[in-house]
Amino acid sequence: MSILFSNFHEAQRIGDGPALASCLAPVNSVSDPKRLWSFSQLSNYQTVEADIRYHVIQDRNAVKLPKQEANQWVQIFVCLWKCIKELASIESGRGGDWNTAYKVYKDLCNNLIRGYQSFNFPAWSVPCMYTAGKYLRILAIKADAEAAHAASNGNGFAAGMTDDIADTSEKNEKLQDAARTLQLMVAACRTDDSDLSESRKWGVISVANLLFKTYFKINNLALTKHVIAMLESPGTNLPPLEAFPKAQRCTYSYYRGVLEFLKENYAAAEGHLSDALSICHQNATRNREQILTYLIPAHMLTSQQLPNRALLSQLPALERLFLPLCTAIKSGELSAFDKALSDAEVELVNRRIYLTLERSRDLCMRNLFRKVFLNAWDETKDPATGEVIGKSRRTRIRVSEFEYGIRAAYKDAAEPIVVDRDEVECFVANMIYKGYMRGYISREHAICVLSKKNDAFPGTGT
Amino acid sequence: MYSASGAPPWLSNGYGHHTAQHAYIPVQTRNPYASSLPPPPTYIPQPLNHTLRTPSAPGTSSPASSDSAKQKVEWPQTVRDYVNRCFAAETQIPGVAREEMEKRLKDVITDAAKRNMLYTYQWDAMLLPQQMIAEERKRAALGLQALPPNFVPPPPPQLPLSYAPGTNPVLPAHSGSETLRKRKSSEMSVDMDNNNQSQPPWRTKKGGSLEDRMSAPDKRQRTEPGPTSSKLNSTLEHRRRRFDLDGRSGSNSPRKHASPPAPAEPLGPVIGRCQKLEKNYFRLTAAPNPDHVRPLDILKQTLDLLKKKWKEQGNYGYICDQFKSMRQDLTVQHIKNEFTTNVYEIHARIALEKGDLGEYNQCQTQLKTLYAQNLGGHPTEFLAYRILYFIYTCNRTGMNDVLSELTQTDRQSKAVKHALAVRSALALGNYHQFFKLYLDPPNMGAYLMDMFIGRERLAALATISKVYKPAIKLRFITEELAFETDAEAAQFIVDHGGQELLKEVKKDGDDFVQMATGNRLFEDAKNAAFSSVDIKGQI
Repeated sequence: MSILFSNFHEAQRIGDGPALASCLAPVNSVSDPKRLWSFSQLSNYQTVEADIRYHVIQDRNAVKLPKQEANQWVQIFVCLWKCIKELASIESGRGGDWNTAYKVYKDLCNNLIRGYQSFNFPAWSVPCMYTAGKYLRILAIKADAEAAHAASNGNGFAAGMTDDIADTSEKNEKLQDAARTLQLMVAACRTDDSDLSESRKWGVISVANLLFKTYFKINNLALTKHVIAMLESPGTNLPPLEAFPKAQRCTYSYYRGVLEFLKENYAAAEGHLSDALSICHQNATRNREQILTYLIPAHMLTSQQLPNRALLSQLPALERLFLPLCTAIKSGELSAFDKALSDAEVELVNRRIYLTLERSRDLCMRNLFRKVFLNAWDETKDPATGEVIGKSRRTRIRVSEFEYGIRAAYKDAAEPIVVDRDEVECFVANMIYKGYMRGYISREHAICVLSKKNDAFPGTGT
Repeated sequence: MYSASGAPPWLSNGYGHHTAQHAYIPVQTRNPYASSLPPPPTYIPQPLNHTLRTPSAPGTSSPASSDSAKQKVEWPQTVRDYVNRCFAAETQIPGVAREEMEKRLKDVITDAAKRNMLYTYQWDAMLLPQQMIAEERKRAALGLQALPPNFVPPPPPQLPLSYAPGTNPVLPAHSGSETLRKRKSSEMSVDMDNNNQSQPPWRTKKGGSLEDRMSAPDKRQRTEPGPTSSKLNSTLEHRRRRFDLDGRSGSNSPRKHASPPAPAEPLGPVIGRCQKLEKNYFRLTAAPNPDHVRPLDILKQTLDLLKKKWKEQGNYGYICDQFKSMRQDLTVQHIKNEFTTNVYEIHARIALEKGDLGEYNQCQTQLKTLYAQNLGGHPTEFLAYRILYFIYTCNRTGMNDVLSELTQTDRQSKAVKHALAVRSALALGNYHQFFKLYLDPPNMGAYLMDMFIGRERLAALATISKVYKPAIKLRFITEELAFETDAEAAQFIVDHGGQELLKEVKKDGDDFVQMATGNRLFEDAKNAAFSSVDIKGQI
């Protein structure tokens, strides 16, 4: 157990932030698999404060800390001890519950925050915030799981004073609570006016990432606005994003990108996600996959380009999802597209990209209409002989031709498509409106007049 | 007990605590058997309990509780008797450990002392700590699904039959969009009037309702009665409470503020006793009084009455108020069955009809939880409404969640299929399909679609304006955009400032009206419409 404290003192001596942070982690480590148990054996509830005070302050190997700081560390370790005691009980199967462990760890976090705000904890120790935040989150998730398990019978009743019968309070109570604590941490990191080389601001991105993760888990994305405002508003004087460690930058850009994506700002999303992708480590397959899951649909919608096979083949999961869709889009086969979309629907919905990919049906239809256009020739006949001497593209396409095109696209489908002339006109109208086609419709003549200037289908070269 | 000698009671009984002589002589301030005169107003709202107890003189001896009170606290005789009873051998309950009982006792008494309620609780009638603990355990073991004793299992579905999908028993079946649309515009104006009526009815009602609301002075303070009626009320309350030995209602002693009752009163299901069918809605600020809570069989009669009244009168303010009080009664009695689902569904439908999306959304949220418990009702119908509601509020995340929860059986239902088709038509801009779907929505989907039909028409007109050249017949617009008549279509265009665009044309012996295209009028109008979505104050 005293290993922990000797680590603590060593870290304090040399000013090693990460080492100090690892003291606060309530887990067994590889080098010390019985860490939890041995630490919990150190003391008991009655004498814990005195014992820890001895180890932190009075031990002869102890590094000399300013009095208030040392006291605060004592408090922190007391909380840590209580939490570890609880965890050790859970580990050995003898009672103990995650709820208590969470509560005590939260006290630890609050003490840590207070340490920074009031008791001048040094800025190099800011990795502690991240570690504490990380484990707080994990404990909160476990506590919520425990609560959900315990309350799975008849929990629907609202207690007492409400008018309505079902209890609509959240089932992620602890996690929401943790989110509030994390937000305090971000604020504590941010509001440090000392010189940048000695500032807590360097911890802000890592804790913000934790906060994003938490908000995603509780599915309350509205709150992310505040975090972003806190970090990106002009008055905050944070160091530029590029100065932070790569890992933190990558995660941060990823979350920003996903948030923009969900708000349908595909251009901005693409920007952030590309940044994330470029920083992301080559071998971090899972991370690359996650980034690309959002980047590919965003790019498809902004630039109408499809991912190529080389890219997809690197990541089999994505290949499975996107390849059938992309093939169908390229060839303009609407029925194949619909089928591919409905096959992958469940997974796409889970990743929140279904509604976006649905829109790429426009691309598919555009390609289909383009095929119709490419096959519509005017034959120029020699006035004298009546022979066909050349062909030129028609730019006046009858709506009925588009209709046949659509029917043809569905000829392999299980059920024949039901589409009437007016609906086809509506499709063509949408194409023109959205800029996939350039021209106009004349209802009287039931034809669509396309641009002659080789950009009837902008972006495709015809 | 009530010693006539005038010596402090605790001294004469010899409790063995320090019997220090006190500087002041205990004096009884009130005759224990005084008449039931109303108290001086400053004692509102706990005036009358004093007459039932001996007020003890200031003293410092504490009862058997182990906490050494540092302040001088008076312990009324009744408290002491209560404590005695707790420790008496006869009243021990086997499963309850003594330490637990002592701890609870200590909590109860310190709590009462803190609130200065030592004299106001009916200690004689209060549950002993061990009884409280046993109660709570029982309740927890039953998982709070213990139904109140007067619960009657619902009859086999005769109610749902009258709600076969497609017909709405509360309204005349909507024959087509035209009746709906006409009803809607007049409904909208009625809604504005009703907003005034949704003020608490007691403000407008005559004083007759006061006597109905006697034992709840938290309501009394809201109704601001004159001094005479408050005296009358307090007298009646006093009489009732004196003879009322039921611990529950006795412990519901009137409180000014919304503090929950002391630990003596567990917040379990209330068993209602009220027999009146109608009841105005008041928000709960204290534990409910069973005399004002209607039991299930009464509520069923109430529902029938309300359905009739709605059909005959159509007074939304009144109906909404009554339904909310019904929901409240169901909640406090923990009644969760098909009847509850039914009540919420009917209220939701009525709210939809009146365009009250706030109230509708509340019911919808509750229904979601109720359906999860398989209590019957029409989950697919309301699932379809949810989808349409998310379309209206442009709630992408909500829509995504709904899609992720859809099951295969859900997708088979007609209502859900329709709603999903609406969604995908709108996602792709397929206005042709969308308006076709608008003409024939199942159940009451038309009301929801009416919420966003305006902005979708603007979107369609924006497309048409950009794509068709040089002009387009008005008839086309009428048909494509599901207007009933050319006149209505023209009116819509004019409403958005397009009167210049309309022109009468004679061509080939055929005269028609056409609208000029190629302008940005509808594009701008559409952008304005989509940028602000009013969710009427309820998420």
